[in-house]
Amino acid sequence: MMSKVETSREDMTLVRVEHVSKHFEKLNIFSDLSFEIVAGQSVALLGPSGCGKTTLIRMIASLDEDYTGQISRNYQKIGYVFQEPRLIPWKSVYDNLRFVLEDDEKINEALKIMKLDGFQDYKPAKLSGGMRQRVNLARALLDEPDLLLLDEPFTSLDLHTKLSIIEDILDGKKRRTFSMIIVTHDVREALLMADRIILLSNKPTKILEELDVSQVPKDIMSAEFLKKESEILNKIVRRWSEV
Amino acid sequence: MPTGVKYVIGLIAILLIWAVVSLIISSDLILPSPVKVIGTIFSELSQQRTWEALGTTLAKVGIVMLITVIFGVFFGFLIGLNDTLYDIFRPAILIMQAIPIITWLALVMFIWGIGWTGPVVVSILALIPQTILSTAIGVRTTDKRLTEVAKVYKVRTGKVIKDIYFGSIIPQIIGAIQVVIGNVWKVVVVSEYMCGDDGIGMLIAWARQSVAANRVYAYTFIVITIGLVVENLVHRYTKKVLEGWEAS
Repeated sequence: MMSKVETSREDMTLVRVEHVSKHFEKLNIFSDLSFEIVAGQSVALLGPSGCGKTTLIRMIASLDEDYTGQISRNYQKIGYVFQEPRLIPWKSVYDNLRFVLEDDEKINEALKIMKLDGFQDYKPAKLSGGMRQRVNLARALLDEPDLLLLDEPFTSLDLHTKLSIIEDILDGKKRRTFSMIIVTHDVREALLMADRIILLSNKPTKILEELDVSQVPKDIMSAEFLKKESEILNKIVRRWSEV
Repeated sequence: MPTGVKYVIGLIAILLIWAVVSLIISSDLILPSPVKVIGTIFSELSQQRTWEALGTTLAKVGIVMLITVIFGVFFGFLIGLNDTLYDIFRPAILIMQAIPIITWLALVMFIWGIGWTGPVVVSILALIPQTILSTAIGVRTTDKRLTEVAKVYKVRTGKVIKDIYFGSIIPQIIGAIQVVIGNVWKVVVVSEYMCGDDGIGMLIAWARQSVAANRVYAYTFIVITIGLVVENLVHRYTKKVLEGWEAS
């Protein structure tokens, strides 16, 4: 398969996915996928499990370059919050952060913001799942990325930890504007974090619909949030059964 | 019961069985009594030639260890990083590993004859394949998810090698060192016996020629004791290194 990767410097578009298709042997994973993300925007890729969301985000991060079509990238730095924390087991929290950026001031600041100060000398095995995911997030935000990629980062976390980390991410976004792509199958996560939801079908994955959710309050207790969540859930059930 | 006490009981049991079997056999040529062997050990240890031989053997062991570990880890690291190199060199290393020591001894004797070089070369040839393979496998089984993290954050190659690959192979290197230290004494002494002109192996060869079984046993006992002490020291040190390295 040919791969075409280009870095464009035009307008405010940070990532442009154009007619991207991917096959794995005879299995058609994506077919003619196109969308774009502008600077400062948060987009959720919402699709059923196994539809290839992780593959898509890996392609955007240049970790998978085996596809046809074109992905244009107009960013300098990315942060990637992996599904599993991917910390170096024999290194302390501090050294894990130092591995990606040798800037002690920024590391100390990130530790403080992520409520990790006091744990800098701990090795990952000594931390809870939530703490490890915070380190994963601290690492992603450390070098002030233009684009933050989040690949189902809350899968193994309880609701309280999940909400607390989401709050940290949104706080981080307030401090310094960056774009986000969050991959999830959870409508609530998508609504809380995104301005726009791209609803994906099952394989071969296509874009079913794009939803503007920028006006929905990011508060799970608000009636408007719950109403919107319910609307999207109904839509998902309907659209996925159509496919 | 403390472990030390159990060890002492085990040693006493061995000496008792040895004494009984020696009494039954009643032949100093086949199995001299422990009392006689212990007496010979002390008498041999009071002689300068034993200490010189021990020093020579110890020096050879040190050289073999150093070359085997440094070269083995370096070469293993190199071929572990590259699939093509690994596929090219793996058959040769496996063949080297399967060659009996006696074959190396014969070849080395053709080239260097009897002397100091032979035992060192034979021991390196016998022990290095394991070190190379252990290291290469360690590099190849490095968690690719960690190297992806490095790729995303554009971490420079030297740092990736030092912090991820090298970190990943520490247990393999320590395992390889433990295997080498466990075998190096035996291999060096056998090589000295067959193609050396000094060292404990050569003293054993002389004792055999003089039909002095008690000296053969005494030298063996000395080698075993030093080997166990060195192995224990290395084990303790490597355990400390591993504890510092481990995830918890």
